[in-house]
Order: sequence, then C-alpha cells, then structure tokens
Amino acid sequence: MWPQHSIGLLLVLVSGIVAFYALVVERDDLHRLLLLDLVEIPALGIIALLGTDLAEALILPGLVVGIAELLALSQIYLMKEEISDRRVKGLPIEVVRADAPLIISVILVIYGIVLSGFTGGGIAGLGVVFYFMSRGHREHFEMLEMASGISWAVWILGFFIFMFLPQYWVLALYLAAIGILIKVIVKMSLVGTMWGDAP
Amino acid sequence: MSGIAGIPYYILEFGDELVYLTPYTVTLLLMALAFTVLVILSRPERQVDIIFGTDACYAKETGKDELRFRRFMAIACGLACMGAMVTGDMFNFTLFVSLVGICNVGIVAAVRIRHVQEATFQYGIVALAATVPLFGAAALVAASTGTLSMVELWKEATPAVPLAVKALLVLGVMGEGMAPFYAAKAEMFRAPGAPYVIMCSLSSLLIFLRVIEIVLAV
Repeated sequence: MWPQHSIGLLLVLVSGIVAFYALVVERDDLHRLLLLDLVEIPALGIIALLGTDLAEALILPGLVVGIAELLALSQIYLMKEEISDRRVKGLPIEVVRADAPLIISVILVIYGIVLSGFTGGGIAGLGVVFYFMSRGHREHFEMLEMASGISWAVWILGFFIFMFLPQYWVLALYLAAIGILIKVIVKMSLVGTMWGDAP
Repeated sequence: MSGIAGIPYYILEFGDELVYLTPYTVTLLLMALAFTVLVILSRPERQVDIIFGTDACYAKETGKDELRFRRFMAIACGLACMGAMVTGDMFNFTLFVSLVGICNVGIVAAVRIRHVQEATFQYGIVALAATVPLFGAAALVAASTGTLSMVELWKEATPAVPLAVKALLVLGVMGEGMAPFYAAKAEMFRAPGAPYVIMCSLSSLLIFLRVIEIVLAV
C-alpha cells in the first residue's frame, strides 16, 4: 500500500486503542454511551482512508448504523434509569433562546442546498436538527414523513434510469441528487425532534 | 471456480449487489427462512409462576403492543440474517451483521424489566463497539485487495486477505453475536414471550457459521 495509507492506519489504530481503553476504564453508563460515539470515529477513519468514491459510499451506511444504534441505546438508557417521563422542551441556554439557532440553521440549510446530494442533505439536515432541538416543536410530522417517502421513491427512480436508460443520465443525476437531499434533510430533522418521549 | 462452500448453483451480479447460492449458503438461508416463518406463525408463550408451598400461581401475559414490537424485531432479524447468509459482498455482509445486532437489541429491549434493560444496554455497547472492527475489516479488505466481491476474492489472481484483517472480521462478528450470552444473563429465556428470544441465538449461530466460510474462502 501507499505510505500515507499506512501512516493513517497507524494513527487510526492509536486513536482506536485510546478510545477502547477509555471505554474499558469508564464505569458510568452514560459516559460509556458518549465514549461509544467517539469509538465510532476510528472505524469511519479506516473507511475514509480508502480515499476513493467507494469510501464515501461505505461511510454513509456505517454512519447510519452508528446513529441508529446510538439512538436505540439512548432510549434504552432512558428506560433503564427510569427518566423517560422527564420531558425536555428545547435547550435552556440564553444564546439558544435568542435568534442564533435561526441564523445558523438558515446558513446551514442554504449551504446544504448549494452542495446538494447526500453531503448537502446531511448539512442542511444538521441545520434543521439544530433548530428543532433548540426550539422544541409542536407540529405534526405526517407531511414530513410523506415528503421523505416520496423523495426516496424519486431517488430510486433516478437509480433505475441510470441502469436501464443510461442516455438520460443528466435527468437521473438531478432526480437522485434532489431526492436524496430532501430525504436526508427530513430524516435528520425527525431525529432533531426526538426529545426522548416514551415510545 | 468453487469456494470452500461448494460449487455455486447461481451467482447474481447486479451493479454492486452480489448474491451467490452454494450448497452451504442455501442451507443456512433455508434455516433462517424456516425460523422466520415459525416466528411469524407462533404465539408467545405464557409463563406461569408457581409460589412454592402454596396453591397460588400467576400467569404473565405479554401485552399486544409488546408482542407486535418483538415479533416485528424478530422478523427483521430473520430478514437481516437471510441477507447475511447469501450476500457475496464483503461490506454488505458487515452491514447485515450489524443489522442483526440492532434487531437483537430490539428483541431483548422490548421486555420492560429493569435487569433485562440493564443487560440490553451492556449488549448494545458491545454490539456498537463491534461495528468498529467489522467495518474496519471490510474497508481493509478493499484496501489490500482492491475488491469487496467474494467471487473476485476466490480467484487465485487476487492477493490474499491479510490474516490480521480476517481476525478483525471475526472479532466484529463475535461482538455482534454476543446476544445469547446477555440474554442468558438476564434470564430472558425464562421471561414471557419465548419464541422471539430464540431468534437471538439462531441469528448469532448463523452469522458465526457464515463468517467461518468467508474467512476460510477468501
């Protein structure tokens, strides 16, 4: 392999050992949960070291699996410690109560739409997550879920055009980019509304 | 071209997706399929506790919501298992295995008893930490051989996968396959709603059997 890859692997290995050591030493369950998020990073680092298109395609499912397990574990933690009845509505921080979340979210969403595709969806979604998390929410989410489903179907349609009608690849590219952008934004904003209410 | 699992009956290549059926993988697939069908058909057991020395006994019912959630998780676990059995793509295999891990967490977590939740949480931590060697191994296979397809990896021309990478893969599968130990620790096998918990054991058995084939073949 090329030397950069070996050096990178060594760095990832060292950080992985440090993170796992912390995980072994730590006794508090909440802190272990937080450390796990840290442990995930070296795994993504190993994949990212591939440095090709394939790496991006592989990181995304890895990231999704990590987030899914983390959400599931935090729900279990709430249930286990019997604190799931404590409802939290927004972050009680003065800056967050002012206009800061709105401005930051708008910047992130605009930048995400400019980027488009999965990365753009991730960034724009992060903006929406931040807004929902800092403001709380009262809306119904059927519309958001429907938008997510339709945009997913659009994304799949784009893929089928790629495979069966390759001459229309520009159309397929736009369909896939827009579909995944909307889908990721909506999915992430739904994550932002999860304030640990009991399932 | 035959792997350790025998001569393939059928290889499906569709873009990145690669599925192959050999006598070995078909056997495992049928096991997973049969058990998923059993899970769909079966009703949860009602556990009866008898108080020693008296006539008193009480039956524990499984609520309808809990039943539906656990059945859904068990079926999802069966589907993930079937995917892990037939996939011919290294990364898809690791994804399916981690999906099995998440479903196992779900199956066990549906029981609202404190010590069961405690065990689930500990298993979840192990399963989540195990995704690191799992995905790391898949990425290192791609880095050291240039392909993730097992059909390519069987060929003599492809460089062999380093032993350390295989060890990482097995370590990851071991972490995800830990569910029965934690289920036993929480005495899940005696908790109400019996058939679904067996899915934990079966899925870990199947992913262990499959990873042996992969490690020997590539």
